[in-house]
Amino acid sequence: MPIVSAAACPHPPLLVPAVAGGAAAELDVLRAACLSAIDQLADADSLLIVGSGPATGTQYESSAGGSFGPYGAPQVTVGTGEPVLPLSLTMGSWLLSQSKAAGLPSRMVTVATDEPVEGCLALGQELAAGNERKALLVMGDGSARRSEHSPVHLHPRAEIFDSTVAAALDLADTATLAALDPDLAGELKAAGRAPWQVLAGAAGPATFTGNLLYHAAPYGVGYFVAAWSA
Amino acid sequence: MPDEQDHVLRLGSRSFGPGEFAVMAIVNRTPDSFFDRGATFATEAAYEAIDRAVAEGADLVDIGGVKAGYGEPVSEDEELRRTVDFVAGIRERHPGLVISVDTYRSGVARRVGAAGANLINDTWAGSDPAMPAAAAEVGAGLVCSHVGGLTPRTDPHRMAYGDVVADVIATTTRLAERAVAEGVRRDGILIDPTHDFGKNTWQSLELTRRLEELTATGWPVLVAVSNKDFIGETLDLPPGRRGNGTLAALSVSAWLGARVFRVHDVPAARQALDLIAVLRGSAEPAGTRRSLA
Repeated sequence: MPIVSAAACPHPPLLVPAVAGGAAAELDVLRAACLSAIDQLADADSLLIVGSGPATGTQYESSAGGSFGPYGAPQVTVGTGEPVLPLSLTMGSWLLSQSKAAGLPSRMVTVATDEPVEGCLALGQELAAGNERKALLVMGDGSARRSEHSPVHLHPRAEIFDSTVAAALDLADTATLAALDPDLAGELKAAGRAPWQVLAGAAGPATFTGNLLYHAAPYGVGYFVAAWSA
Repeated sequence: MPDEQDHVLRLGSRSFGPGEFAVMAIVNRTPDSFFDRGATFATEAAYEAIDRAVAEGADLVDIGGVKAGYGEPVSEDEELRRTVDFVAGIRERHPGLVISVDTYRSGVARRVGAAGANLINDTWAGSDPAMPAAAAEVGAGLVCSHVGGLTPRTDPHRMAYGDVVADVIATTTRLAERAVAEGVRRDGILIDPTHDFGKNTWQSLELTRRLEELTATGWPVLVAVSNKDFIGETLDLPPGRRGNGTLAALSVSAWLGARVFRVHDVPAARQALDLIAVLRGSAEPAGTRRSLA
């Protein structure tokens, strides 16, 4: 059985108000879009958070620890115990805890940023297997080369790449997500490519209705929020 | 930790003892650096800036031929054109001045060293592995920096540290020991936490707050906080209006034991540091007549 719903969210540390400090209000709209997308997962039986990490397939329980200390806000943590989660899953767990889907049984899993397409699709299929009505929260960012003031300098193909992703997330177009080129995504510093391809694998051939809730690059990095339902 | 007993920093003909603050004036030979935007790209303007810095109390000048951040590519030949003759000209005009050159290329370090530079400010933290040998070859000192593994001229994106101060200490002291092993004089080596490079504002603030941990390593610490983004983000001010914030960060750094201060505004830094030297007990007031007659 494929997944029944999905949400896609970005994971800049800046999304956490304590990290952004006085700039926190600048991302109010993005935060609200993320929570709105995740709220729509609440009627599934269980939830999986997928995010980039050092390796593919590392699984964590919902109580796994994560911290924003490495980015300057040690007071903001998720789970319990030693922080073990990569940034993407720390952010996913932090967002989930504030949403209407917070009560669902959940797990987390990583995918390597450079995982080949086939590996991403296979991981998605594997995660979707079983009879449970599962929801997927997919953490991923667009290109970090969108503007002259981007963390990595402007790349002429960054905007069209991100527009392609935005359209695919809006239309729940798994074929386009599956066709994203890992080499180009790497050059464009688009960390979301692998997680989005896990989403494509998990959705399989089923038809979803997509809804793009946010698509902008306010600091030169592409951020998307989308909600998919079966 | 340096094993020389006196902890004196020796650069060119100058010696700076512990407790003595040295001001390093920034003079860029670039058309595009963030603060001065090319004010001293032309040769005459650059010589005048040097003369002025010396008159205002600079102990060192730091010459840069390539903008630190992202910008137009600058070839090694072009960097040499911007720096070598200029260094030789400064040496002729100011025989006793300590000349530092901000470069990440060992080829440039060798040539400017031969032209009279006394210190190589390797801001990109040993990205060129031949740098210590080049500094040693020309008898120059070396600044050992921390950029969190970034490649030259890129900006930080989500740099993460378990403990940024520990990371800086580990990296800079490792580079310093490597420099000694490759023949750089122990008393010519400085470590630099390199604020903003590979760091977000929280991380640069943490380094400033805990600078004492760096000075406790025994290696002389250089700080380059002048007009940087962590000050601008903290105070919500653009580059042209960060002078007062710069002095505050510089003063705290001096209080916590930093010894060399890379600055745009020499007179302001000199005045602040002269006062702090007296507060710390390493210098005497110029004259104390008040209520004493």
